[in-house]
Amino acid sequence: MISIDQITKQRGRRRILSEVSFVARPGRVTGFLGPNGAGKSSTLRILLGLDRAQAGTALVCGRPFRRLRRPLTTVGAVLDGSGAHRSRTARGHLRWLAASNGLPRRRVEEVLGLVGLADAGGRRVRGYSLGMGRRLALAAALLGDPEVLVLDEPVNGLDPAGIRWMRELLRAQARAGRTVLLSSHLMGELAETVDDVVVINVGRIVARGTLGEVVAGHRTLEDAFLALTAPGQTSPGQTSPGQTSPGLSA
Amino acid sequence: MRVVHAELRKLLGLPPAWGALALGLVVAPVIAYLNRHVSSVDAGYQEFAFGMIGVIVLGVVAVSSEYRAESAEDAGTRQIVTSLTAVPSRVQLLAAKAGALTLTVTVLAAVTAAVTLTVADAEITAARVLGAIIYWVLTALLATGITLLTRSGVVPLVVLILNTTVVSVTYLISKVLSAAGYFPDLAGSRMFIRGGHVDLGIAPATGGLIMCGWTAVVVTAGAVAFCRRDA
Repeated sequence: MISIDQITKQRGRRRILSEVSFVARPGRVTGFLGPNGAGKSSTLRILLGLDRAQAGTALVCGRPFRRLRRPLTTVGAVLDGSGAHRSRTARGHLRWLAASNGLPRRRVEEVLGLVGLADAGGRRVRGYSLGMGRRLALAAALLGDPEVLVLDEPVNGLDPAGIRWMRELLRAQARAGRTVLLSSHLMGELAETVDDVVVINVGRIVARGTLGEVVAGHRTLEDAFLALTAPGQTSPGQTSPGQTSPGLSA
Repeated sequence: MRVVHAELRKLLGLPPAWGALALGLVVAPVIAYLNRHVSSVDAGYQEFAFGMIGVIVLGVVAVSSEYRAESAEDAGTRQIVTSLTAVPSRVQLLAAKAGALTLTVTVLAAVTAAVTLTVADAEITAARVLGAIIYWVLTALLATGITLLTRSGVVPLVVLILNTTVVSVTYLISKVLSAAGYFPDLAGSRMFIRGGHVDLGIAPATGGLIMCGWTAVVVTAGAVAFCRRDA
């Protein structure tokens, strides 16, 4: 369970997030949508304790991320890139990570196999393709077998087979009762993956609800998204769909 | 302890850190060998001081590697993001980093001192050797503290290495301004250097305390910046 409540973030004089609130529930894949620069990554970085918000709270399983002990066993995060120093091997990277949270070393081999990097685990990350880097980041996220997965643009750099593989993996995680929150700006891909949708535009949430609720009245998720994020639609979404959907106040 | 273990793995898993260790291990004995016919009260100890280039590199790399962008072309993720999602407490992360660095440098300094002093056929006194080891550890922590402020290794590496090798700026200043003897590198060296050009009559223990003070101030400043800034 992820609950984000009234997050506001200012960078210099620019307000990049205004009272952002939403929840991501267990057993569901929640898609966090928005145009580039809308505030998706900033929100996720605040959730993960990397950046600080001026106001509001972000909780993972009821606690702020910075209070978690052995956080890898609660939250797995995939931010952009591989997250590894380029002169390390994938195996070396995962081993120090496992050590930091007291995870058994066999988990390293397990997750390398799980993401399809078993044969490339001994290679240095600088020689990895974009897609391999994403797989390594996912391996790191899965290392502690966490209840919650947070992924920023997880399919960036993946080929079509990789995208399908990622979708099936995330769906399987949700079926197992995990909470999955992923951001994206690829609508076609998201429509196939998510149960719930949160749309952010210019630092404000403009819609949230189940996929059906957000798409309602539009032909596709893409149409709904473009209508919601069109210029002139930047005021807070008092009239947007999904505002009264369940899960908002949960 | 868990996190210190992880930081040790992280540091020693970096090829640049191995380069730094090799540098630390080799420079002082080689200079001591070349100077073996020069007799001085500081024979061996003076040469040991030069070996700290490796220690500086190690202290800088421990932090700068966290901020190294993944590829040259784009500013992809940096390892710090992974580090903080694994260990969210910044104070704990830094303490573990300092612990791992201290352990590594202590071992390196002890081995290097033994080799260098043997090569120089110097008189080995426990107090001076201990002083020399502490000097290296504090130097590494100083380098780490400065890099926490700059987040990039370039400036601290250039400044600190030039100061120890090509031209010692602090030493030059001390020629003009005797108070410059209180700079951390000069004051700290009193822990194991007996002769030398800069002598304000700073006792070994006093020199060590002065250097500790500098290190504490710089590392605290770096830590405060690290805890306050967005990653």
